[in-house]
Amino acid sequence: MGSSSTTHATHPSAEPSPDPEHEQPHRLQGALFQPIGDEGRAELVERRLVDAITRGHLRAGERLPSEADLSKSLGVAPVTVREALLALRGRGLVVTRRGRNGGSFVAAHADPLTFAREAVRRTSRLALRDLGAHYAAITGACVRLAARRADPSETQRVRRRMERIDELDVEQQRRLLDDVQIEIVALSQSARLTREQMKLQAELSPLLRLVAHETENLRRQAEHLAAVIDAVEAGDPDAAGARTELMAAETIDALIRLQATTG
Amino acid sequence: MNTASDTAIQAAAAIVEDYFSAPVRTLLDWVEPFAAQVAEARTSGPLTRSKVDALVEPHALRTLDLRGVPVYGAGFIAAIDLLSDAHSHLAWWQGEDRRQLVLASQSVNKENIDYSALEWYRVPMATGEPHVAGPYVDYLCSDEYTITIAVPAEVDGTRIGVAGLDLLVSAVEQDLTRRFASLGCEVTLTNGVGRVVVSTDPRWATGDSVRGSGLAELPRAACRGVALDVIVDPA
Repeated sequence: MGSSSTTHATHPSAEPSPDPEHEQPHRLQGALFQPIGDEGRAELVERRLVDAITRGHLRAGERLPSEADLSKSLGVAPVTVREALLALRGRGLVVTRRGRNGGSFVAAHADPLTFAREAVRRTSRLALRDLGAHYAAITGACVRLAARRADPSETQRVRRRMERIDELDVEQQRRLLDDVQIEIVALSQSARLTREQMKLQAELSPLLRLVAHETENLRRQAEHLAAVIDAVEAGDPDAAGARTELMAAETIDALIRLQATTG
Repeated sequence: MNTASDTAIQAAAAIVEDYFSAPVRTLLDWVEPFAAQVAEARTSGPLTRSKVDALVEPHALRTLDLRGVPVYGAGFIAAIDLLSDAHSHLAWWQGEDRRQLVLASQSVNKENIDYSALEWYRVPMATGEPHVAGPYVDYLCSDEYTITIAVPAEVDGTRIGVAGLDLLVSAVEQDLTRRFASLGCEVTLTNGVGRVVVSTDPRWATGDSVRGSGLAELPRAACRGVALDVIVDPA
């Protein structure tokens, strides 16, 4: 199956299977093998879309994929997608326009920065530090491996993408840094670690964006990444790992300071 | 180089050439008629994602049915700004359930990832030749360690994108190491940047770089038609 993010939605619902030896299955087992049904699935679809919107992967005003596309990619019935979209509409996150250029759009007020601020306010310091530890561990391991395995032609190509950064607005710069981070990690040649990084990046990215907007440390994030690229190209795993850990620590520190001042 | 290892290295190169020639040919077989279909479609109105998807789907599904190589995904990647309703687009089918890939609905919005600099797009678009790209971690389509074979599609001398297919390296490893086993020596297949694609030698891991290692000193031969080298260790 393609993306790890869609795998869970593709399992066919379990059918109760007759067992000749146990005509009367244990009650708990009976509940276990109830068809999952599209009720639970609509909630899963809804949660996936809410995450995409609040984390800013789908931006205010952006058009959502069509119901048919969503149903195809998530492996659920169109009616399930419709149900999830209805719930999102009810929560005010999505608006639907009719007509030729119609469709479902992310609501104009769905500002990821507001959601990120709210998420940081609700999250404990412990959880923020733990996220930092997880990120530093995974990303650190990836860049160390990349430093042993990347070819200079590959790191040079990643660096070239960073050169255009000054022509972009803050939002585009953050997206570019996310892309560049994933490209560096992919140079580890490890699919498992890269998938793990994608998940973590999706979680941390809105917080990195918040820090970039509110503390003007975007330049600092870019400098860290540039230094990681240099270390990977120099084949220096320790320098690449240390710089990545520093970047994670600084980000979490900035979030905790933000939390304290806006508390 | 002694005669025995010379024979082995030529045999190893032949195995690799044979293995990759069928998928390349499959893509070459459909890319031209497909390009003609695109040209035709453009005469009757703007070229949209859904029009291209409908044209690609039968070719992609037939490519997934290819025997002899483990094709994981197949399709067409449009040149940047080819389509009227999207800056970039992948018309791609993959996996056991042969489902079309929809990037926008995934956890990280992959739709924004710029593929123009990626090897499987960049090289065939620049050279006009078929290309075996990778191995690399494909975070856009398969999410696995992948080899992508891609050939450019052209309309009136202008490249409109690439037709491609994905092979998962773990499946390629099983196929090729089985074939190499009969040669009676350790065989390592490397790509253009000196990265191990597969090796029968347990000391060499896929993804490692052979640059500056003892492996770089051993007899090697370039495979015809694909930018891959075979290295033979007679020991």
